[in-house]
Amino acid sequence: MDDTLAPIRGEITEIVGGLSSGRTSHLLACLGDVVGRGETAALVDTEETFDPGSAAQAGIDLRRLLWVRCGSNREVALRAADMLVRCPGFALVALDLGERVPRLPTTMAFRLKFAVRRTEVALLIVGRRRLTGSSAALAVETLREGIEWTGPGPAPTRLARVRTTTRVLRARRAEPGRPPSHWWSA
Amino acid sequence: MSRFACVLVEHFDAAAVERCEPALRERPLAILNSGLDRPNVGREGAPTAQRDSAPAKVMTTIEANAAAREQGVRPGMTETEARTRCPMLLTRPWAEEYVASARHALLEAALAVSPRIEDGGAGLAYLDTVGLERLIGDPAAIGRRLVHQVRAIGLVPRVGLAASRTAARMAAATGSGAVTVISRGRERATLAKVPVAALDLAPDLVMTFSRWGVRTLGELASLPREGLAMRLGPPGLRAHDLALGLDRDPFRPWTPPPFWEEAQGLEWEIDSLGVLAGVLETVLERLCRRLAAVALVADALEIRLGLASGGHHARDVSLAYPMSEVKPMLTLAVLDLEAHPPPAAVIRVSISAHPIRTQAGQGGLWQPPAPAPRDLVTVLARLAALVGADNLGSPVLVDSHRADAFTMLAFSPPTEPASSDRRRRGVGQRPDDVPQHAAAQRKQRLALRRMRPARRMEVETVGERPARVEARLVIASAGPWRASGEWWDRQAWARDEWDVVLGDGAICRLARDRLTGHWYLDGFYD
Repeated sequence: MDDTLAPIRGEITEIVGGLSSGRTSHLLACLGDVVGRGETAALVDTEETFDPGSAAQAGIDLRRLLWVRCGSNREVALRAADMLVRCPGFALVALDLGERVPRLPTTMAFRLKFAVRRTEVALLIVGRRRLTGSSAALAVETLREGIEWTGPGPAPTRLARVRTTTRVLRARRAEPGRPPSHWWSA
Repeated sequence: MSRFACVLVEHFDAAAVERCEPALRERPLAILNSGLDRPNVGREGAPTAQRDSAPAKVMTTIEANAAAREQGVRPGMTETEARTRCPMLLTRPWAEEYVASARHALLEAALAVSPRIEDGGAGLAYLDTVGLERLIGDPAAIGRRLVHQVRAIGLVPRVGLAASRTAARMAAATGSGAVTVISRGRERATLAKVPVAALDLAPDLVMTFSRWGVRTLGELASLPREGLAMRLGPPGLRAHDLALGLDRDPFRPWTPPPFWEEAQGLEWEIDSLGVLAGVLETVLERLCRRLAAVALVADALEIRLGLASGGHHARDVSLAYPMSEVKPMLTLAVLDLEAHPPPAAVIRVSISAHPIRTQAGQGGLWQPPAPAPRDLVTVLARLAALVGADNLGSPVLVDSHRADAFTMLAFSPPTEPASSDRRRRGVGQRPDDVPQHAAAQRKQRLALRRMRPARRMEVETVGERPARVEARLVIASAGPWRASGEWWDRQAWARDEWDVVLGDGAICRLARDRLTGHWYLDGFYD
């Protein structure tokens, strides 16, 4: 994971993008970085779309990951994330909102912002569009650039990899340089 | 060197109530016979005969604390007589659960000092102190340690140390301070002035000695042994041994029960969880004090609520992490009772804890911090109440080729450092020294957003390749990736997987069930 796009401790980071733009792969990369350091992470999965197989292939130690499945209930997901960011000790709390991102009152966004500052937790929100407005310290958009196929014959039998890039939408601190492209192996 | 210690809590029935209601400690208190049969739970004293002979309907005093005794209240008096002597007297009915809890608490506190203890009855425990001098110090220091341990559970003890249990008990009962030590060889001289009534002797034997004019243990010890044996038989010889400070009975070690229980009876019915939480907190505080006194923690709670309807409501609360703190235990208990409320008003609360010993561990110097056990267990309980316990935990992959095969385990992050971290980092190397490219070496895998359950789709094919998915054009496709399994079982499965790019840019994984011919959407690559 590129350091300039890594979630910041004590701040809110948002990754937005359309379907198949690489936002979930970025999320797994962030989780892998945190868990690989021996830290503890939590994933609030609104639509229950997290694939443990993909995470294991990405080298994530699933024992250090708390997975909270919310049954497509966005209110519950927001409340679960609110509880988790108030528990000191988690290095990263990821909130995957999926395709339908709810409207978040400004007061709720500020509440999350101050909670993560107090507990020094990195809150990473992934969804189709932005959620917390100016409360996020960093917001990036993922975009797909290319696809490669693979197979033994002339007709491909499997997706090989997907190349994505990111665009910084908001960076409260220093403006990061142009983010590099990422190849994600299927 | 003393061989035995005796821990004695005087007026134990009253002390057990004071332990549950500390505000009563300085006030005159009498325990009344509530009309129930009181089991023979401990030492027999003079009041027993009077207690047994009292009419069942008349409320009689069966125990009084020191403040009440100063006012002349004695066991066996009727409530009216006791109140006449002490107008400020407070009374409580005798409660078996209070006495049983206090008795176990006393034994557990003694067990924290010596591994060999004997249950001498309610308010009485004997300890084998051989070898403790190397751990704790001289007999006086052992006695002080005992006093400290017993006070920590809310009882006020007197401790005696001597070469025999009888001598130790007499020292505890008659000593002037909290700790009394009888030096080896001084037992007979020390016991000489103790009255015969202090021994646990049959009433007819005490009457016989009284008729003979034998009032003290010294006088009893000076009687000829052969003559006693001829006139009184084995009971007479036993009494003579006790007067000499000799123990003939074997030491019967006490082992703690697998569950520790604290209970509280209520004089009123509770039908609100908020009020019940206050009672639960009081009971848990006593239980945790007992656990903390012997450096143990609990890994499971069993809550048993006596109901006004006559039944019981029992709940098992498993603690996500062994603990001895009241607050998270109370939170878990209340959350559990919120989810499973008792069907009727509560009149009795009993909590059992399964005690275990934990190994104190120390995290590594460079080990990242993890959530504190107390915080973690609280947030997990709150999340379980919010999303359900089945939707919370760590996923574990199942050894199968079947798509989306995993199970959920309770979240319990490992305490050792990550293996990749250990491998990368040498001894004495700080986290900053880890090569920056190490993180970059981690595989960048494309994630799949799973549809649960896999959604059935209408797919048009050209040959075997998908051409349209729910009327959406397929731009590119790759496959089939054939997989099957469990053909030896009833749950056989076989499928062809296709990676497909749709017209709107989404990359998805389709699967055709070869057994039914149906197409399913597994998920989207993202």
